[in-house]
Amino acid sequence: MSMAPAMQQPSPVAPEAEQANKGRVSKSPTRLALERFLHNRAAVASLIILLLIILSAVFAPFITHASPTLQDLANTDSPPSALHPLGTDSNGTDYFARDLWGGRADLLVGFLGTASLLIISLVLGGLAGYYGKWVDAVVMRLVDFMMNFPTLLLIIVLMAILNTSSLWLLILVIALTAWPGMTRFIRGLFLNLREADYVLSAKMVGASTWRIIFKHMVPNIMGPLVVNATLTMANLIALEAALAVIGFGVQPPQPSWGNILNGAQDIFTLQFKPWAWIPPAGLISLTILCINFIGDGLRDAFDPSFER
Amino acid sequence: MGTYIVRRLLGMIPMLFAITVFTFLMMHAAPGNAIDAMINPSIRDIEQLKEHLREINGLNDPLWLQYVHWLEHFVVGNWGFSFNFHEPVIDLIGPALANTLLLAVVAEVLTLLFGIPIGLYQARHPYSKFDYTASTISFVLYSVPYYILALLLIYVFAINLQIFPAQGATGTGPLAGTFIDHLYHALLPALSIAIANMAVYTRYTRGAMLEVIRKDFTRTAYAKGLSEGRVFTKHVFRNAMIPLVTQFGFDIGSFAGGAIILEGLFQYQGMGYLTITSVNNRDYTVIMATTVLFAVCVLLGNLIADILYAVVDPRIRYN
Repeated sequence: MSMAPAMQQPSPVAPEAEQANKGRVSKSPTRLALERFLHNRAAVASLIILLLIILSAVFAPFITHASPTLQDLANTDSPPSALHPLGTDSNGTDYFARDLWGGRADLLVGFLGTASLLIISLVLGGLAGYYGKWVDAVVMRLVDFMMNFPTLLLIIVLMAILNTSSLWLLILVIALTAWPGMTRFIRGLFLNLREADYVLSAKMVGASTWRIIFKHMVPNIMGPLVVNATLTMANLIALEAALAVIGFGVQPPQPSWGNILNGAQDIFTLQFKPWAWIPPAGLISLTILCINFIGDGLRDAFDPSFER
Repeated sequence: MGTYIVRRLLGMIPMLFAITVFTFLMMHAAPGNAIDAMINPSIRDIEQLKEHLREINGLNDPLWLQYVHWLEHFVVGNWGFSFNFHEPVIDLIGPALANTLLLAVVAEVLTLLFGIPIGLYQARHPYSKFDYTASTISFVLYSVPYYILALLLIYVFAINLQIFPAQGATGTGPLAGTFIDHLYHALLPALSIAIANMAVYTRYTRGAMLEVIRKDFTRTAYAKGLSEGRVFTKHVFRNAMIPLVTQFGFDIGSFAGGAIILEGLFQYQGMGYLTITSVNNRDYTVIMATTVLFAVCVLLGNLIADILYAVVDPRIRYN
C-alpha cells in the first residue's frame, strides 16, 4: 500500500481553483484530497444522503410526534394510516417512529464502536509496529488468537455471560472483540514508516515515543486510516443489525433497525406487512451503501494512484 | 509438503490449548450453573445436596484441575450433557455440524461458480458496458447485508413463488431426510451468503487480473505469439489466483459468522442455530463445544488456505 498523502502531486481536477489562486496559496495535501473528494459525484451524493439519515435520527422527535415505545393498544397491527404513516406492530407501537428513532442506536454503534476500535488498535498496532521485536510478537500472537474466534460468536457468548442489554455495553463488547483486524492493518502501516527518515530524525533529536507516534507517524497514515475506519463503521452497523436480527443486539423496547427487523421476520409479516420490514431493511442497506461509497471516494481522494 | 503440513498441524497445538483455556474461563465466568438448573428447588436440605453434588462433580476443585478434567473428557469425545436438549452434547453436534458444512460448501461452490467467471469476463473486457454494470451491481450487493438479502430471497422464493422452503434443515414427504432434501433446504440460506461473497470475488478477480495483465511476463507471452485464450488461462489467471486464495482463507471465518445469523433467520438446524438456542437457554456445555469447534474450523481453514497458497504459487517454498 502506498501511503503518505504528503507525497501527492497537485490536483489534476481543479484547474479553475488553481488559476484563481495563481500559485499564491500552496495547498495542503488534506486540502487537495478534499477537493478530489468533492469532485467524486457518487461520494458526495452518498455523503448528503447519509447526513439526511443522521439528521432524521437526531431530530426524530421533531419529525414525528409518535413515540417509538408508546403502545397504542387501540391500533395494534394497523396498516399505514393518517395516524400511523407506516402502521403499527403487534404491540401498537408506531413503525415510522421506530424507524426514525432506531437509527440512533445503529449510528451510535457505528460511530462510537469505530472510535473505540480506533483507540485500541492505534495503541496496540502502533506499539507493535513501532517497537517491533517482542512487543510486536506478543501483540500479533494475541491478534492471531482472537482471529480464531468468529467475532459474532464471541459477542453473542459475551453478551450472554454479561447478562445485561445496555447499548454502551454492546459497544464496549464490539470494540473488545473486533479489534484484531484493524490492529493488524495499523501495525502494517507503522511497520512501513518505522525506518522513514523523518521518524529516525525525530528519534535522533530525542522526541518521546508518544510524540513520534502521534505527532509524526499518525498524520502520515491518516489517509489509509480514515478509509479503513469508514469501512469499519459500515461493518459495525451491519454487525449491530445482524446481532439484533437474531435477538442479541439492542433490546426492545429501545428501537434499532435490526430489532425492528427481528420483530418482523415471521412469514405473515414478510408477506402481508411490507411496510414493517422494507423501511428498516432499506435504511440499513442505504446507510451501509452510502458509507461504502464515501469510503471509496476517500480512498481515491487520499491515494490518487489507486487503480480505479 | 507433507512435512510442512505435519509441522503446521503440530504448531496448532499451542493455539488449540489457548482456545480451550479461553473458552473454559469464559464459561466459568458465566452466571448460573448446571446444578442449579437441574435440581428441583423444593427439595429439603437443598444446600447440603448442592454441596454434595459440587463435591462429587469436582466443582470444588481448584480451577486448573477442573480445566484438566474437562480437557481430558473433551479430548476423548465426552463433551458433557445438554440439560436443555437432554442429550449428550456430542450427539447434538454431529448432525448440526453436518448441516453447517453442507451450507458452507454449497455457499462456497455458488460463490466461486459465479463470482470468478464474472470477474474474469469483466477483466477480459474492461471499461465495457458489461464491466460497469457488473461493477455497480457487485458494489451494491456487497453493501447490502446478507440477512437482508435473505429476507428478500425468502420473500421472493419462499413466499411468493413458493419453490423453496422458508425455514428448517429438513422437510416432510417421501424425500425427507435424504441428501436431496438437505440440499434443497440449504440452497436459500447458502445463496444469501453466496450473493454478497460473489460480489467480493468479482471485484477481487477483476482487480487481480487487470494487475497481472499489465505485467511484463504477460507482454512476453503475447510476444511469443500465444493465443489470447492461452495467455489468459495459463499466464494471467494462474497468477491472479494468488490473492483469491487469501480471500478463500477468510471465507471460512466469515461463513462461520454468517452461518450463525442465517441459521437463526432460517431456523436451519446447524451449529449456529444450536449455539443461539444454547446461549438463550444458558446451556453452557453446548456453547463450550460449539465455540471450540468454530475456532478449530477457522484454524483448519487458515491451514487449508496456506497449503493452497503453496499449490498456486510455486515460488512459496515451506521449509
